[in-house]
Amino acid sequence: MKKHLLISGKITLLLLASLSLQAADQKTIYAARSGSKMRIEGTSNIHDWQVESPFIGGLMEVGPGFPTEPGQEVKPGKVDAKVEAFITVRSLKSLEKDGRPYSDSMDGIMWQKLKGSEDEVTKKVPYPKIEYRLSELVLKEAPKAKDGAYVFDANGDLALAGVTNKISMPVNITPMADKKLKITGTVTVKMTDFKIDPPAPKIAMGFIKTGDPVKLIFEWIVAPKKAPTAASN
Amino acid sequence: MSENEKDISAFNRRDFLRGGSVATMMAMLGGVEVFAQTNQAPTGPTKVNVVKLKVAVIGLGAWGREIVNTLARIPEADIAAICDTYPAALKRIASVAPAAALTEDYKTILDNKEIKAVVIATPTGNHKDIALAALKAGKHVYCEAPLANTVEDAREIALAAKGSRQCIFQAGLQMRSDPQRHFLLPFIRSGALGKLAQSRAQWHKKTNWRSSSPNPDREKALNWRMDKTTSLGLIGEIGIHQIDQQGWFINALPAAITGFGSINLWSDGRDVADTVQAVIEFPKGVRMIYDATLANSFDGEYELLYGSDAAILMRESKAWMFKEVDSPLLGWEVYASKVQFYKETGISLVANASKTPPPNAQGQPAQEEPFINTPLSYALGNFLRNSVDLNSAAEDYKTSYGADDVDGLAEHLAKVPRRNAAGYLEGFQTVVTAVKANEAVTTGKRIELKPEWYELK
Repeated sequence: MKKHLLISGKITLLLLASLSLQAADQKTIYAARSGSKMRIEGTSNIHDWQVESPFIGGLMEVGPGFPTEPGQEVKPGKVDAKVEAFITVRSLKSLEKDGRPYSDSMDGIMWQKLKGSEDEVTKKVPYPKIEYRLSELVLKEAPKAKDGAYVFDANGDLALAGVTNKISMPVNITPMADKKLKITGTVTVKMTDFKIDPPAPKIAMGFIKTGDPVKLIFEWIVAPKKAPTAASN
Repeated sequence: MSENEKDISAFNRRDFLRGGSVATMMAMLGGVEVFAQTNQAPTGPTKVNVVKLKVAVIGLGAWGREIVNTLARIPEADIAAICDTYPAALKRIASVAPAAALTEDYKTILDNKEIKAVVIATPTGNHKDIALAALKAGKHVYCEAPLANTVEDAREIALAAKGSRQCIFQAGLQMRSDPQRHFLLPFIRSGALGKLAQSRAQWHKKTNWRSSSPNPDREKALNWRMDKTTSLGLIGEIGIHQIDQQGWFINALPAAITGFGSINLWSDGRDVADTVQAVIEFPKGVRMIYDATLANSFDGEYELLYGSDAAILMRESKAWMFKEVDSPLLGWEVYASKVQFYKETGISLVANASKTPPPNAQGQPAQEEPFINTPLSYALGNFLRNSVDLNSAAEDYKTSYGADDVDGLAEHLAKVPRRNAAGYLEGFQTVVTAVKANEAVTTGKRIELKPEWYELK
């Protein structure tokens, strides 16, 4: 009997050890997937405008206990999560209200303001991407419905046109089929906060004056990153 | 693939007006012509970066040289190489593209990874091998129309283009990229002309079409257009653009073609007609009367569409509407510019969108700078911008979502909006028309065109 206990004890120890190894590794990395979208809405003295990009790239890393399934038991409070996301400036395109392409000239001016001027020699632009880095994610409430969203407050850094600003915004995360997560949010920023003069291009009858505040509306789809074949640990 | 099919019944004449709302206001202030948007960059202190694309031109005959001259004036074009099997042709155009590499072998262009796009302007019979190789090499391809001399070859090119999901393929039907024609399209399709009666088009130019060379083999190659084994003749090489355009406006494919052809002036041993006439039958009794001749230049090139309320005349990049006395008044026409054509008053529908001065009182065009704001210029410009957009979309997709999602990438690229251009389907369909039209002209018969011939399978 004693021998049996000893063996089962060793097995238990092994099990416990492997569990703690798992717990240490239980960070899950999510990679960006298609279906994501960034929409920017703005105003001007002539008409409202809208810009969209179909690309939000980057990675999200979450710790154990992060709500990744519908109806998970989670307590409000700070959660273990890291995000680094980016959008290529050239993928932002102006649209008509019905979604058709709007204007090459507007796109050109917008990219110029965001990317900076091309270096004559290297032909490279200083800021080809808009980048976001999450610094803190706080869960506010669990979903009210079975397929509802977990509501968070996100604090992070938004970098564009060479300027970085802290931004805070509410963020909803909805678990989807195939273990995907849909992350949505809206935040209003001012162009001048990023040292961008709102564009005022000349047109046939004067100037268009763009409004300073712009609304960023994003929908980011991420899925667990397929692990490469790892060496045995 | 080429443009949005709007719900024509919902097209509102006021939208036509509103589409040029700034221009309309100016029209009401001073009788200025209504003109189409061109999306030209505004003048001002912001210097906007232009994304250039390295492009090569293969085939430097008269039209190839026109292409090089046109590309040289398009900011997005970086002419990296030009190619012709004839060294004299290379030398002749080299000064227009001083930074371009000169080569007699198109394969060196296809092997060059820096060159992302090629324009093929060789004799029609040589298009296929080059187009297929270029697509295989992952290049964006602009292939002159007609794509090929046979339907089988055109089908091969079109299917290869269809399967090359990361490449732009554009057929050289430059009218399909002309912004003024796109401006007119919904107007015409909405029934503004009333019930369509018929169409007419012509191409007249007194020229022998012949090039000379001391080398007899070279002379034969240069004069491929005059040889019935290598040429679809006036109707297949020239008429096809005009027939395609009218079918595009009428929104139908030809159902039958009757033709005639003869050599009336240039009896120099050629076996291709220098004067052709054809009647192209579209559905509902709308027929197009076409004639082309190398024997006389009077009145050059134009297309007409006749309806019970009005006729529209299109000449180069301009258009005029001639209303019937009993047709309803369109409010805006009161302010539009009018031009006298003998006894007819033409309402100027479209002006050249560049800053050139308007035609004089006799309707004669003012002096214009060559090679810019032509349909070819818009076609090549759209080709380059579509290619740049597709390249950027592919790169950004891979950067954002990974390079392993091949199907997702292809699905995404198929949705990237394309600027107005003829694609592989239009290229294929116009060859079907060209081949049968040429058959009608050379046999003097009426040839029926089965709808299934136009399906790309």
